[in-house]
This record gives sequence, structure tokens and C-alpha cells, in this order.
Amino acid sequence: MSHTALLDKENLIPFLQHVCRQQRVVAPVKNLYGDTLFCVIDDPTMVEIDLVNQPQNSIKSFLFPQIETLSHYRLERNAETGHCDYQFTATQPEPVPTLYFAVRSCDMNAVAYFDTIFNPKTGADPYYQQRRQGATFITLACNQPAAVNCFCDKTQTGPFLSQGFDVQLTDIGESYYAVTGEHNPSNRTNLLMQFSSFFHTVTAADEQKHEQVLQQTQPLFGLDVDVEHCVEVLKTSTPSASLLKQLAVRCQGCAGCAFVCPTCSCFTISDQRLSEQHGERVRRWDACTFSGFTQMAGHHNPVDGESQRMTKRFLHKLKHDVALYDQVSCVGCGRCVDMCFGGVDIVRFIRGVCAQEGDNQVDDQRN
Amino acid sequence: MTNSIAEIEFADVILVSGSNTTVAHPQVARRIYDAVDRGAKLIVIDPRSTRIARLADIHLQLESGSDIPLLNGMMRCILDANLQDHDFMAAQTENYQSLHELLMAVDLDEVAATTGVAKSLIQQAAQLYAKADLSSICYCLGVTQHVSGTHNVQSYANLAMLTGHIARPSTGVNPLRGQNNVQGACDMGGLPNVYPGYQAVTDEAVRAKFEQAWGVPLSNETGRPLLQMTHGGDTDNGLSAMLIVGENPMLSDPGLKHVEATLKSLDFLAVADLFLTETAQLADVVFPAASFAEKTGTVTNSERRVQLMNQAIEPLGECKTDSEIIMELSQRMGYPMAYESSAAVMEEICSLTPLYGGMHHDRLLDSWGLQWPCFDRHHPGTNYLHKGEFTRGRGCFSPAEPIDSAEYSDNDYPFVLITGRSYHHYHTGTMTRRCAMLNREHSLPWLEMHPDDAQRLGLSFHDRVVVASRRGQCSFHLCITDSVKSGDLYCDFHFHEAPVNDLTLTAADPIANCPEFKRCAVQVSKETL
Repeated sequence: MSHTALLDKENLIPFLQHVCRQQRVVAPVKNLYGDTLFCVIDDPTMVEIDLVNQPQNSIKSFLFPQIETLSHYRLERNAETGHCDYQFTATQPEPVPTLYFAVRSCDMNAVAYFDTIFNPKTGADPYYQQRRQGATFITLACNQPAAVNCFCDKTQTGPFLSQGFDVQLTDIGESYYAVTGEHNPSNRTNLLMQFSSFFHTVTAADEQKHEQVLQQTQPLFGLDVDVEHCVEVLKTSTPSASLLKQLAVRCQGCAGCAFVCPTCSCFTISDQRLSEQHGERVRRWDACTFSGFTQMAGHHNPVDGESQRMTKRFLHKLKHDVALYDQVSCVGCGRCVDMCFGGVDIVRFIRGVCAQEGDNQVDDQRN
Repeated sequence: MTNSIAEIEFADVILVSGSNTTVAHPQVARRIYDAVDRGAKLIVIDPRSTRIARLADIHLQLESGSDIPLLNGMMRCILDANLQDHDFMAAQTENYQSLHELLMAVDLDEVAATTGVAKSLIQQAAQLYAKADLSSICYCLGVTQHVSGTHNVQSYANLAMLTGHIARPSTGVNPLRGQNNVQGACDMGGLPNVYPGYQAVTDEAVRAKFEQAWGVPLSNETGRPLLQMTHGGDTDNGLSAMLIVGENPMLSDPGLKHVEATLKSLDFLAVADLFLTETAQLADVVFPAASFAEKTGTVTNSERRVQLMNQAIEPLGECKTDSEIIMELSQRMGYPMAYESSAAVMEEICSLTPLYGGMHHDRLLDSWGLQWPCFDRHHPGTNYLHKGEFTRGRGCFSPAEPIDSAEYSDNDYPFVLITGRSYHHYHTGTMTRRCAMLNREHSLPWLEMHPDDAQRLGLSFHDRVVVASRRGQCSFHLCITDSVKSGDLYCDFHFHEAPVNDLTLTAADPIANCPEFKRCAVQVSKETL
């Protein structure tokens, strides 16, 4: 059963101030240079909370850091055998209760995707789980999208959420219309009850405004990208070699797309020696657009860096995950479109796939 | 660059020479790709079949260092087809007659033989370049790092002036400068012959201006170019002390043995750098310097754009910013210098450097910066140079006769080795080779060889090979690729394990003093363990 309430805009900062005293708060902040980024805030009155612009980062790095120590190792001599043995000690993060504030619908869907891939029935990722455990999400519906390259309406990941959040806020003018998530998996205390002094009851007029906002939002998403059609085409055919070549030649292999992507989750693990006797095992974000991602012993590589490196990323999101989870794993945030200076973005790929189908130039898989 | 980077996208013909653009200047390459998508034609002049060369409509795969005969050949073709821009030349240029005489003596068959490029390709490229309304030249170190470097550049300028392809948007001559601030370093007088803003040290009025501003007498003698300093050795003409800031000549300069001998012969060597480089290891004193993220200041990129970079983190450990190091040194050497901030330094730059006259920090905030010349606070900056008139008045044709390279291949040293840069590493790897991800992407010194040569020598992919020149030798892993032509070899100079500047020549262009990095004669053999 979901609850509704109203948060007046003038109450927002006092509310966040109150939460900051109790737990870590991550919110979108516009820094001195005009960039909006999700970051940890201690006092919301000391920073500029930006609820207009899409943050340049997603909240991925808070749940799955770019660099993370998995364990420490120590080289110890076994007195009996005289051999040196590695002793590993896992270093799991302490769960830090964290409120993620003003998470956009696309980014919230990305967390749901991470929950799926990092929490399989076997082999769960304890590092992710530790961070995820203490997380609460107040999301912000995107009824006035400021980003020009986002398309959550086409990936079915927004602009409004129906589940996955703890509280969803919708800007209805003077105040935020707040609704609690229906199936809160962690069974956490209802935030609206917990901080009831900052909220008040929704009137019939507020309900009406909320309805209006819901209806007015859809036309605001103007990016012409037919994700559904692309997914259908990819189910039965592979992208044409000419399309892939056209995109590949422009890819610089910088992996900017993967690093800003809220759902790209590939990592690599390496050992860093800190002294002769000890060191640490770290994992860091990796990307399938790097040649090293698929490089094998002897410097052989089954993937040709120049012509094939971005194919995997697109197909993973639009084909392979659809087969596994019945849902594309692109959440339509558009960050990779903003990021890529070669213009090798997923929108261009989707349009290309749809166009090739129209041109009837599809390489049929059976051939 | 005479143009702006974004203008490249709107050119009709782009002539790229001696530039591995996708690797070294990806932001420029992106504009070239955009231009090609819009229908622009691409001509690439390069001994290597780089990625940008494979995108080209015409690739002139010349013999390394034969730019002058190739360009004279192209210009001769333009004359033969009467495609020169007579009006532009009459209105804006001088000394055409001497170029004309030189070109009339050019024998195209001889050009084809010298450059290794077919006559028909030269003709096609010349016509394509000349006929278009907006043709733009982008060149890089493949043009300048030769003993003929200055005359190579002048030849490209001749080509542009001959056809009137300059002094308008999207058409001009565009050297692609390195990293984020090589242009800025030159602009600020990091050259032996000029004060900031290219004001000659030999100009009395200029000298008087700086003497008055700084309150000290200044020398009117031109300083020494790099190689005279690092190759000076223990001679009468050698230096006795050096301060090296953010440079690693023990890997980056040609003739490493000379460099090592010179640095070791100094009475005193101080090095300021982020890490203990090969050069810093020889220093008496090392100043740990702050990185870009630890300081505020401006950088000037290839399109003359001055941009403000803000400090992101506090300096780590004991490191200091370059300006702090310089000010404290100056203080101890008897010249107190106490600028409150980099903005205060910029105010002085504005007052003494006409090109930077309006580059006040407050104007650079919250923007993509301003392009010089920008003479005062109200000047909007300059998108492209020489509008209406060349900076010197009339553009002067400087005809160039072919100049022999310093070394050719022969029976003993049958290959030509070209050195350059890779995508994942920067220069001597001081920073990039300390980054695990970049090292994974590119961890070994590779030598690129054409498949025919590899087959003839019985070599396979990943074989360890020894490359030797008359000056030294080092080992590489073999990469067999048709991106080099038969007889040519290519390697990067980022790896201390394979210090390729043990092989290169100490010969340099006599005018700009730029070393001949783009060709030396070598032999290759399989390494025996």
C-alpha cells in the first residue's frame, strides 16, 4: 500500500538538513564551475542542490566504486615447508546508511538492474550488497527533462516510476507530490511517517495538479529513437557490417561511454604490490571497448579493436540482456550520447539498425 | 592554427599531412570524420597508412621526409592546370615570381621517383585541393621533425597562398599542437628567441618594456635551442647548471648518450616534475611539482584558445605548483616575486603581451575561453588569422628546393625507422605509464614492420627483435602490419625499456632546431637469448 504526502518546496532544505544529521546523504549538487554531480552532502544549506539539470554522473560509483579494494594479501613463510604462502584477508565495506536524493527514474532503474546482476541466486557480489544494504532512494520524476539526449520514455524506464523507489517526488509547482513505493523490498520504515513533520496531507487540488503533470510530460521527450523497433530487429538479425564499420571507425576506444553509463558494470581485477611482503587486490571499472578487455596471453585478441570494439556494448544492452531479462539494459539517460566525441553513441546505433531494416539490408543470421 | 578546430568540419577538402590524427588529436579527427560525413574530400600525406589515411580519398604515401618535392610537384600541377588564385596572390602576397621560377623547373617524373608517389595521384590531389572553395591543411610532427622541417612548413604555406586557401573560415594552414598547452608554452616565451607573445629579445623597444616592468636589465642575446643545451657536453660552450621543468630529455631527446653525458657534466641540475623521471634521477635537487588537478591557471590549445582550469584538489604531499617553485627560487636568487594568484600573473601577461591583452581570468570564467589575438578587455578574440591582410602585411612566398634527409637506408642499415606517439601513452610515459589501465592497453614497445619484410626476414608476430642504428640499439616486440610500407619501420618513444632515441639522429633543422625524429637508417635482427 503506497502513501502520498506533500512536501512544500520551502521545506525541502530543512528536510534534507534533518536527514543529514541521521545518515549520509547523496544529492545532485551544482559546483562552483557549473557542473552538476551527485555527491555526498553534509549540510544542504552550504551547497547548491540542483534539481533541474541531469547530474553528469549517475549514482553508480557510490554502489560500485570505480576502484575498490577487495582484499589485502600478505606473503608469509611457512615454517614447516619453507615455502611462501599468500594469506588473503577480505576487506568488505561497512554498510553506511545512505539516502540517495533526487535520483532520476533512469538511474533508479539502473540500480534495479544492478540488483539483478550483482545479486544472482548464486555467487552474489558481497561488496555491492554491503553498499546496497543501507541505501534509501528518494527519486525525482522527470516531468521537465532538461537533458536533450535522454529517452527514458523509449526504454520504458521513466519519466515516472511505478516501483523500486522508497519515495518518488513529482514537482507540481509550489511543492513536491510524494508517493511511497508499493513493494519496498527492505521493509524499511516509511520515510513519510519517519519525517512526517516536513510533509502534509495531499488535497484534492494537489491530486489534480499531479494528474495534469502526468499528462503533460510525455510530449516533452522529443528524441526520435525507436528502441522497441531496434530490439525487434536485433532479435532476428545482426547489424549490418557497414553500420558497424561506420561507427567503429569513429570510436576512439576511450570508454567514456561505459564509465558514464549507469548500467555498464564490467570490471577487472588486479593485484597491487605495496611492499615485498604485502599488497592489495583491487577491482576497477573496465569496458568492453578497450582492446585489453579481450586480450589474451601472447597479445592475441579475438576481437578486432578497430572494427568490433563497440558492437558488444550495444548488443549487450539491446539484445543479450533482452534475451536474459526481457528488458533492455540501456536506461535512456543519454549520458553516453553527451559524452562521445566521436558520435558513436547508442542513439546513432539504434537509428542505424532501424534504418538498415527499412533499407532491407539486414544480414540475416541464418545466412 | 590559422583556423579554429570547429571550422574543420565545414571544409570542402581537408589535406592532412604527417599527422596520425585519430591517435594524437582525436578531437580534430572527430571534425574530420564529421566533414567527411558531410561530403568533404580527404587527402592524406603520410608514409604510414594510418587510420585517417585509410579514410582518405587520396593517400599520398610518400617517402619519409620528401615533403618539399611532393608539394613542389603538387604546385606545379596546379600551375599546369591554371588553378592558382591570381586575384588573391596579386592582392595579398609577394615574391611569387621566385616560386614560379622554381616550379617551372620541377620535373614531375623526378618528383614521382623521389617521393615514391605516382604522378597521377599527385595530379589528382593537387586538382582536388586547388579547385575546392574551402580547403584546409592540417599538419603535425611528420612535417616538422625533419632536417627540412621549416622549409616543409613553408611549402605548405606556399600551397595555401598559391590557391588562396587561407584567411577565411574553414580554410587555412593548421599545425596541430601537442597536449593541452604546448601552444601556451610557446606563447609565453618558452622559446630561446622571444619574450611572451613572440616579441623578439633582440628588439630594443620590447626589451625596454620588459626591463621597465621587471625592474632589471635584460640580455639582448637569443638563448640556446634545446639540443645545444642538452648536447652541449663538457665543452667550453657547455652549460654549468640547468633547471628542467616537466621535461624528460633522458628519454625524449635524440642522442641520449650525449644528453646523459651533458647532464652528468653539469655542476648543478635541478628538476621539477611529478615523478622521479629518468632525468630527475640525475638531478642534485628534485622539486616535487603539482599536477594540473592541483592548481588553477590557463592552458592554451592548438586553436589559440586560452582556457581557465580550476584547481580540483589540494596539492598532495609536499608538492608545490610550478609558480610557487619559481617564485621561491627567484626569492632565494635575490629577486623577490610574490604574485598572489595565477590571476595576478595573468594581469601582468595582459599588460605586457599584446596577443593576450584581454585574457583576464574573469573573462575566461564560465566559458570555453578566448582565442588570441585578443588585444584588450573588450576584444572578442579571433576565430581565424590573417583576415583581410596577413599579419606581416603581404604573405611572402618562400620557395624551397628539396633538402636531403640526414640519413638514407643502405645495405648495412636497410630500413627507415619512423618514430612517433601511440594513443594510450603520452611522451615519455611519466604519467601514463604509471596508470594501470593504460598500461594494460599498451604495455610493450612494439616495432611495426610490413608483412613482406617480416616474411623475408623469417620473423613472426611478437618476436623479440633488435633494432640497431649507427648510434645504438634497442629491443622491441614485432608487430606485423601493412600500416607501414615495405622498407619502413615504426615505433613509439614512450618506453624506457626501448629508448628509441638511442637510435635516432642528432641532426636537426638548422632554423627551428627541430630534430630529425621521423627517419633514421636501421637494421633489424631477431633477438638471440
